Amino acid sequence: MTMSSAKSQPVPSESTLEPTAPAMELADLSVMIGGQGGDGTLTVSDLLGRYFRKQGLYVYTSRNVLSRIRGGHADASVRASREAIAAVKSQVDVLVAFDHEAIDIGKAELAPHGFIVYDSTTFHSELPNAAGFPFATLVGGPLGQPIFKNTAAYGALSVLLGFDVAATRQVIEDRFKRRSAEALEKNLKALEIGRKAALEAQGVANRFSVVDGDARDLILTNGNQAVALGFVVGGGRFFAGYPITPATDIMEYLQRYLPAYDGVVRQAEDELAAVNMILGASYAGARVMTATSGPGLGLMTEGISHAGAAELPIVVTDCQRVGPSTGEPTRNEQSDLSHVANLGHGEYPRFVLAPSDPADAFRLTIDALNIAEKWRVPVILLLDQALAQNTATSVRFDLSDVRLDRGKRLTADAAAQLAQYKVYELTEDGVSPVAPPGTPGLWSEVTGNEHDEWGHVSVNPVNRVKMMRKRMEKMKRARADLPPSRFFGAETARIGFIGFGSTAGPTLEAMRLLEARGIRTRYLQTRTLFPVPVDEIDPFLQQVDVTYVVEHNYTGQLARLLRESVPWHHAKLRSILKYDGSPFRAPELISAIPEVA
Amino acid sequence: MTQSAKPVPPIWCPGCGDFGVLAAVKKAAQNLKIPTGELVLVGGIGCSGSIHNFLEINGLHALHGRLLAQAVGVKLANPALTVVAAGGDGDGYAIGMGHFMHAFKKNASILYIVMNNETYGLTKGQASPTSQIGFEGNVEPPFHAILTALSIPAPNFIARTFSGDPKGMTAILEEALRFNREGRGFAFVEDLSPCVTYNDTYKLWREKVLDVSKLPGYDPTDRKTMFRLCLETNEQGRIPIGVMHRPKESGHDGLEVKLIGERAGPARSDIRLESNLASYQKLLGSLT
Repeated sequence: MTMSSAKSQPVPSESTLEPTAPAMELADLSVMIGGQGGDGTLTVSDLLGRYFRKQGLYVYTSRNVLSRIRGGHADASVRASREAIAAVKSQVDVLVAFDHEAIDIGKAELAPHGFIVYDSTTFHSELPNAAGFPFATLVGGPLGQPIFKNTAAYGALSVLLGFDVAATRQVIEDRFKRRSAEALEKNLKALEIGRKAALEAQGVANRFSVVDGDARDLILTNGNQAVALGFVVGGGRFFAGYPITPATDIMEYLQRYLPAYDGVVRQAEDELAAVNMILGASYAGARVMTATSGPGLGLMTEGISHAGAAELPIVVTDCQRVGPSTGEPTRNEQSDLSHVANLGHGEYPRFVLAPSDPADAFRLTIDALNIAEKWRVPVILLLDQALAQNTATSVRFDLSDVRLDRGKRLTADAAAQLAQYKVYELTEDGVSPVAPPGTPGLWSEVTGNEHDEWGHVSVNPVNRVKMMRKRMEKMKRARADLPPSRFFGAETARIGFIGFGSTAGPTLEAMRLLEARGIRTRYLQTRTLFPVPVDEIDPFLQQVDVTYVVEHNYTGQLARLLRESVPWHHAKLRSILKYDGSPFRAPELISAIPEVA
Repeated sequence: MTQSAKPVPPIWCPGCGDFGVLAAVKKAAQNLKIPTGELVLVGGIGCSGSIHNFLEINGLHALHGRLLAQAVGVKLANPALTVVAAGGDGDGYAIGMGHFMHAFKKNASILYIVMNNETYGLTKGQASPTSQIGFEGNVEPPFHAILTALSIPAPNFIARTFSGDPKGMTAILEEALRFNREGRGFAFVEDLSPCVTYNDTYKLWREKVLDVSKLPGYDPTDRKTMFRLCLETNEQGRIPIGVMHRPKESGHDGLEVKLIGERAGPARSDIRLESNLASYQKLLGSLT
């Protein structure tokens, strides 16, 4: 019998390469994967991230990194480094393309030594540093479905990057073993198909070698998952939300976690309902939260003001995205800061906390729940899309110093000892002891109307002044409970940075690059944005000649808040702003500083 | 014994239909022997929404139109509480319409009383969603809450009462509260509650109300029948009152039953770190 059909011939790999040169060592590597939605770009990114983390490297993955993404195109990037990084790399070392558009978009980012691996099922590229493999065809025959092309691409990459074979395989096992035996088996086959194709192609195997790292016992997670876990550990038991990118994941994680802890998660009919449902649950005595983004926060503003007046503890997580209006739902911005600092109608105490990495998001969610309940106020937890959704290696979340502070919450026994139960009792620190409804033998009136100590509606001017002072006193008294800023770099440095949220990653990386050039800088990462921590900002600015306020918005909202709070340092503050929807990269920060650029 | 907030005198005009609701709520709660501490009354904004101030009761005064969302939040956080939401027709059918429709679908075991006076009384007599054509220049047809409620296929209790018939109202509120306390789901009662100052409809409504239970073929377990009876009654220029729907099966379909069952629920769960430490460690340990 002879092979006569062209179809049964092995499909040759298309490679335009010179014979294999010695492997180029990479200690800081960026892989970008692009294609149509549904091509499995996120799966490839996830598999690579898992592999790199196992090899002791710091990992940062992001999606839709470029600002030119349109139509059905989707892409993801994975960065792995021996250094602690939490930012996108400026150049791409390896581009994986499932369609031609991915090459068109990605090639501009490619490093001079960069290399392209593409699926040649439907097109051919003439670019010199490119190897095409018909992944969809290769897997389609033996596995019945072209969908496994993503795992095959991971297999080819593992050969290109000189991965350890057993560890490469282990990643597939870890990822698919919980799915089904069939899914695992097929993906292992797809892996081998991809590996074999790459091994047979000229100039692909071991073109690069990735240096192992020594970062051990790290987890790979994102801000949204960290907030969800912080909510559980912080005693949060009631969550209501309305789907909105990039905050929806929080609700989805909690739908998985909370029921086991007697908790309830509800998807409401809109953001008005979501915030009012948590207000009701808070009144009933539960620790509560909602999570949203810009347009949803606009709708919730009425309810947040109500929480301030009625003194109902709530936590509202705002995962900021490009605004105003629908803006760019999947892209990064920090333009809600002015809004949350001044949120709502009327005046009431509120606190705005801003974590900068997943471990910090876990911790500040617990802090937010404690502050909200102890001081009976609304607390805003401010994230940005990059922190919310990009995954980063993080230290394991630590339970050892977690404390729950329920403030003056009354137990049934303590309440029974009271001669009078006044839900808005005037106290020195502005906080009234409160017993949840259902506590035997007592009841209360809770209202957003101005009220007297009993909760009865009142327009008495003397009472009004007392109640305003009672509530606003909390802004002063709660200061000791607010998360302190973090300081990095040399105390003697004359150039400073101030920022919040996801800009911490690129800022710290820029500082390291500058340090290597002998330029010392200092960084204040503020974790409480409102009220502005003047007692930390003032001495920091005292010591530097100039400070760059790094933020993702057009008008410099943090810089403006700082100028209002420490006007005597006005001349030292300069802004580095980015509002194109993509997160900062470290070199961009350096080139924005005239003193060092 | 601890002294709690004392009820204040009602702010309503003498003769206001809302007095009837106040008396009926009080009586129904007494008849069912609901302990004061267990009863939460969530009030809306408007004359009717101040009702919680006039009772020895846990009062939660919500934002305009948002009382149902807050009431559902209370019930899901602590299912042991008996939760009543009470507000006006503007509150429920205009600004709160989204929450109103979804309350039937959610089917949390709370009672929602709408005091319908076909006007915005507190802001001095503007047309409301239920105002008749011609009232204060209104050109839009009135909204019919009972027909809307009947159109949503959920196992709710639906009824309409009239402040001019306090005995009938008390009996219906009692049944609604029993329905809630058995975890059967959402109860909606629209009370026709005349505004003596801006839209005094006492005389008109007394002539027009018609007890649907007296009609031939009355079957509140059958939506089709009740929809037809309501439409026909309206066409005859009468206003149907009475129980409009009660589910055939006596199932425990309340949202809080489905989500929480016999467990304590969010507000009463033991959130202490030491009680959950092993479980939290396992949860966090699962991260890779």
